[in-house]
Amino acid sequence: MSTQLSQDVVIIVIDDDKTMRRACQAALRHTEYQVETYADGPSGLTRIEETGADLLVVDLKMPGMSGMEVIERVKAIAPDIVTIVITGFATVSTAVEAMKAGAYDFIPKPFTVDEFRVIIARGVERCQLAQETRRLRREKEAQARKFITFVSHQLKSPLGAVQQYLDVLHHQAAGEIPERHLEWIARSRKKIVDMLQIIGDWLTISKVEGGQLVTDRIALRWQDLATDVLESCSSAAEDNRVTLHNDVPFDLPSIVGDATALRMMLSNLVGNAIKYNKPGGEVRVTGKADETEVSVSVSDTGPGISSENQEHVFEEFYRVGGAATAGKSGTGMGLPICRKIAEELGGRVTLTSRPGDGSTFTAVLPRAFDEMSASDRQTEQTS
Amino acid sequence: MSANARILIIDDDEDYRASTRAMLEGAGYEVAEAICGRDGIDTASSLKPDLIVLDIMMESPVEGYTVVHALKSRDQCGDVADIPILMVSSVQDDPTSLFPMTGEVDMITPDAYLTKPLEIDKFLSTVKRMLGQ
Repeated sequence: MSTQLSQDVVIIVIDDDKTMRRACQAALRHTEYQVETYADGPSGLTRIEETGADLLVVDLKMPGMSGMEVIERVKAIAPDIVTIVITGFATVSTAVEAMKAGAYDFIPKPFTVDEFRVIIARGVERCQLAQETRRLRREKEAQARKFITFVSHQLKSPLGAVQQYLDVLHHQAAGEIPERHLEWIARSRKKIVDMLQIIGDWLTISKVEGGQLVTDRIALRWQDLATDVLESCSSAAEDNRVTLHNDVPFDLPSIVGDATALRMMLSNLVGNAIKYNKPGGEVRVTGKADETEVSVSVSDTGPGISSENQEHVFEEFYRVGGAATAGKSGTGMGLPICRKIAEELGGRVTLTSRPGDGSTFTAVLPRAFDEMSASDRQTEQTS
Repeated sequence: MSANARILIIDDDEDYRASTRAMLEGAGYEVAEAICGRDGIDTASSLKPDLIVLDIMMESPVEGYTVVHALKSRDQCGDVADIPILMVSSVQDDPTSLFPMTGEVDMITPDAYLTKPLEIDKFLSTVKRMLGQ
């Protein structure tokens, strides 16, 4: 590994024994590592939390916060840090316990300077490898998104032009060409429309993953979003002879989110509820809140989803087969988009369904706290 | 306004221009085309169409906005500023969300907005409405 990288390596040593701290410091004096020592867990953890570190050397046996506790806590504040434990007595069990808790390696006391240096060098190598892996992964993900965006735009534009030509042909050639030719044009157009939908969803997924779709974190009301979305879905509902009901309580507390992304999410859920319903069926949007979260549920009176399919409907490209979806076009990306949007906002989308009994998709998002404290509106009771 | 109102299409994509023209001519309108923003502003000024169909995402989004700014600002284009503009683009988002957050947002808010590819019925009814027919 290059020396350039190791110049930046920050090593934190936490040990209650002053002699040991000095010894560690001395052993690494002529290396390129930046070594800092702390006498107890809390001060070392504060340092890590504030400015980060690459390697942590921690004594397992300390008064106050134990080494094991430090290992546990550091996982939460710096999950990528490489931890090496110093074990006072070289029993395999303590070392194994520490490794199970997330430590990378251990060094039994007493140890020589050379032994210590070897262990540290291995640890540093490990964190540099991990850094490199993370960098490569990020790069790869960015490349993948760039590729998706590029390909999609390159496909979208020409396909759109073809769709527009076919639209014109279909309208203007009526009466001039045989009926079945017109039918072919209509079918071609339908294929293009479906393909454009897939590309659109693909782009959306890559936008969500790239953090470009969910950009706002503002207080929003589910009831406003539901009203907008049901309004825009009304003609689709009419076409499918499905009735829409907005039962989101008016005084439901606000959530934190991005209006465009959440409208898209809710549109997907309501759109599905309309599409996979029965003629004369209903779609009902309801909402409820607890102290930390506010949820909105979209229920349909469709055929429901079997338990084995329920596990997969949130996977990309997965589509439930069989009579329920026969003849209905879909990209298999609507629900993955919904879930990704919710997760991006610190929430989730869940499903409850029983075959023959309809499905309910519930989107749960964190409650807007500012507003909650500002106006104690007793809204919990609405649930 | 007569059925054969004059409509100017400003779009850098030849196929979109051709098929949009076909839709409009099929409905009896007179159609002119411009292939870029500059050409669009010039043609609009000389032709004084009754409606402009403008792609706001040509070479770059900036080009579309620049054209709208120019067309809607009385200083530059005089009476052209009153011509309604139907914005089109293949971007799904609400076009106002694409506008840079300048104080001029009001001025360039589109008279109407449709997503490409255009659907003939929706497109023609929007055109008709915008022409006050």
